Amino acid sequence: MTSSTTRQRAPRRRDPRRIHGLRSMPYLFIAPAALYLFIFQGIPLIQEFRLAFSNAKLFRPNDFDFIGFDNFVAISQDDGFWQAVSVTVVYVVCCVVGTVLIGLGVALLMNRKFKGRSVLRSLIIIPWAAPPVAIALIAVWMLDARYGIVNRALAVGGLAPEGGNWLNSTTLALPAVLIVTIWQLFPFTSVVTLAALQSVPEELNEAAMLDGANARQRFSAVTWPTIRPTVALVAILMTIWSLRRFELIWLMTQGGPVGTTNTLVIDLYRESFIIRDLGQGAAIGIVGLLVSLTITVIYFILSNRAARSEVTR
Amino acid sequence: MKQSRLGLTIAIIVLLVIAGLAVFPFYWMFVTATTPTSNFYDENAQLFPNLANLGNFFGAFTDTPMLTWLGNSAIVATGTMVLAVAFGVPTAYALSRFSFRGKAIVGLSLFLTQMLPEAVLVVPLFSIFAALGLINSLFGLILVNAAFVMPVVTLVLMGAIDGVPTEIDEAARVDGATRVGVLTRMVIPIIAPSLAAVAVIAFFHGWNEYIFALTFTTQDSLHTASVGLAGFIGELTTPTQQVMSVAIVYTLPAVALYLLLQRFIVSGIAAGSVKG
Repeated sequence: MTSSTTRQRAPRRRDPRRIHGLRSMPYLFIAPAALYLFIFQGIPLIQEFRLAFSNAKLFRPNDFDFIGFDNFVAISQDDGFWQAVSVTVVYVVCCVVGTVLIGLGVALLMNRKFKGRSVLRSLIIIPWAAPPVAIALIAVWMLDARYGIVNRALAVGGLAPEGGNWLNSTTLALPAVLIVTIWQLFPFTSVVTLAALQSVPEELNEAAMLDGANARQRFSAVTWPTIRPTVALVAILMTIWSLRRFELIWLMTQGGPVGTTNTLVIDLYRESFIIRDLGQGAAIGIVGLLVSLTITVIYFILSNRAARSEVTR
Repeated sequence: MKQSRLGLTIAIIVLLVIAGLAVFPFYWMFVTATTPTSNFYDENAQLFPNLANLGNFFGAFTDTPMLTWLGNSAIVATGTMVLAVAFGVPTAYALSRFSFRGKAIVGLSLFLTQMLPEAVLVVPLFSIFAALGLINSLFGLILVNAAFVMPVVTLVLMGAIDGVPTEIDEAARVDGATRVGVLTRMVIPIIAPSLAAVAVIAFFHGWNEYIFALTFTTQDSLHTASVGLAGFIGELTTPTQQVMSVAIVYTLPAVALYLLLQRFIVSGIAAGSVKG
């Protein structure tokens, strides 16, 4: 409504802006969302920064003093924090590599015509569509040490792990959480990669074939250059989504046993709500955010450079 | 292009195995939900659903507050969808159609919000919501969920609107339509499939959301299904069959709608991602 009334104030005739609208028009379209995001993301983010430099506790969240970098010093001297950093690195790297490689593989397998392809694609997409809480629930049940189907099936083959208590084992918990995570996310990487594959021009492939290129050469000369930006984007999305993933890990292990699945996000939640130290929790969160931001910036620089070298070539 | 029969057969077998792995846990939910208590802890697991025990399904709803929780989830999800789409559509239109100062920053900020973990903002948001009296309120959950999913909605819609020829806008403008008129009468009908896709994404963001629902609601009657269901993990009094029945009812709408609209959801995200 606002936009139509403002428009009438503009000179009516022969004004090129009549087609393109008022100068302020785009801002009017964007303002509601910008304001909304500022209130519900911007302000809390600023608050989080302030908390990170404070001694706020959960039971008195609004009554605190600023203590400079003490929280950051405290976490840097805490072995648990460094364990969380290394768990996060392992978790994120495995998630990204696993989902992107499996996604690429599945997409390549599916990128041909056969009967029932759309049915298969539908089945494969299901884990991604399901709510994480439901997935944590079924995963915990399937991995149950005594009655879980996983151990029962492994027992048939004589492969049941020693003790068999997946989520309570310091060696098996992280792999188990990783398998569940990758299982939930590979559909996303698969279908997005498949969509990119389908935009590879068929003629190019045929031309390469006539030139006698084998499948491997065709992939590196034709397919890969087309899908690379998409694969890169999927990889960065997997990275930042994995850095922020909470419920799947929390509900399966709460970061345990002995911190072996304790990623930074789990660590900050525990620090804030179980240890009730909001200041240190916020400091951990800020470190996590800086890691995300660094990776994203590197990604943008690399993809810009790649795009530019593409043009000059 | 000719492909070798053997290669194709192997590919299909591998894909069948992967599809089987993708679906098995859901099948297992169903089997568990219909296993009678008497053979639940048998030496040999029951591998097929026992349809005679479908009664478990109803038991789960009379014995737990799950119907209330699912209702709360539906309210939160619907509100999240409405708000996120209402804010997202004009923003996407402006980003796609206008060139203006600060446009790149707006687009980049939208992408950067993807880095913000819910767990990082949950504490400051809690203080803000406490001050505004939005704790223990489904409306509060709607407000926060919409903020987290709106950037995705906007980016996908932006990709969709980019695909609509600008001539359509200009023709309508020459005919005297306002910008808002162009958006609502010309552009929105064309991008309806993408709109449906983002509506589904936003709806299930609200439906799935856990951490805010957990921390912002303390009353049992205001829990969403995600919180209620998560409460069953590690708890021993509610029979596992009932928990699984509830989990199925909670999962089914999400899977059904994603499958129904998968073409648009995937192409929307893919288009958005090619744009970056």
